[in-house]
Amino acid sequence: MVLIARKDLKLSAGKLAVQCSHAATSCALAASKSEKRILERWKNDGARKICLQIEDLSSLQRLAGQAQSANLITHLVKDAGHTEIPSGTITVLGIGPGPRRSIDALVQDLKPY
Amino acid sequence: MGLRSFIHSLTAPPFRHQTVSDQDVKMVLVVNNELKMGKGKIAAQVGHAAVSLTLKCGKEAPGLLESWLRSGQKKICVKGDNAEHLLKLEKLASAKGLLSAKIHDAGHTQIPSGSLTVLALGPDTKSLLSNITDDLKLL
Repeated sequence: MVLIARKDLKLSAGKLAVQCSHAATSCALAASKSEKRILERWKNDGARKICLQIEDLSSLQRLAGQAQSANLITHLVKDAGHTEIPSGTITVLGIGPGPRRSIDALVQDLKPY
Repeated sequence: MGLRSFIHSLTAPPFRHQTVSDQDVKMVLVVNNELKMGKGKIAAQVGHAAVSLTLKCGKEAPGLLESWLRSGQKKICVKGDNAEHLLKLEKLASAKGLLSAKIHDAGHTQIPSGSLTVLALGPDTKSLLSNITDDLKLL
C-alpha cells in the first residue's frame, strides 16, 4: 500500500499522520469488501505501507485516475477542515493493497516523505 | 448474493446497531516521541496502527466501528514520552475495556527493529478516552 501526500500543503507531522491513516483505513476496509485475498496476503506480509510525496493537487488527481484505470483500490482523503487547512482540501491518496509491480509502475518517480 | 438473501435484503427492516451518540466516537493514536522518526515514517506507522485497530474493532465491536465510520472516522494524533509511557497507557486502557493496538517496527529504515512506535486506542466515546489521553500533547 502506498500513501501519497501533498507536499505543497506543508502539514504538521501529526496532521500528516492522521490524514495518511484515514487513507490507510479506508483502503483496507474497501479491500476487506472487494479483495479479501489480497488483504490477507498483504496483512500476513507485514501490511507494508510507504509514505510518498507529490507536488500538488493536479498531479495527485492524475495519479488517482491512473491507479483507478489500473484497477487498483484507491481512496482520496478530503479533510473536514477542523484544523490547519480549509474544509474539503484533498490531502492524501491511498493506493492498494495491490500487486507490488502495478503499484511500483505508478509511483516509481515519487520520493519518500 | 443468492435469490433468498436478495429478497431478504429488500424486505427486512434495517439493522439496528447498539449505537452510542455518533459525534463523540474517536480514535487516539499515541506516537513514541523518543524515537525521532521522520514525518513520513510516523505517518506510515500511524497508518499501521489505525488499520490494525480498525480491523480488530470490526471483529470485536462492529457497532462502535459503524458509528465511528459514520461520524467521519475521527482520529487524533498525540505524543507519548517513550515506550514505557505507551505501555502504561495501554494498561490503563485495557483496564477500562478499551480496544488497543501496538505497533512494533520491522526496522527496515530509520530505527532499530522491534521498537514500539505507536499505540492506538479506541475507537470509543470521548468520555472514556479523555481520562487516559487528556494530558497528552498534540503531535
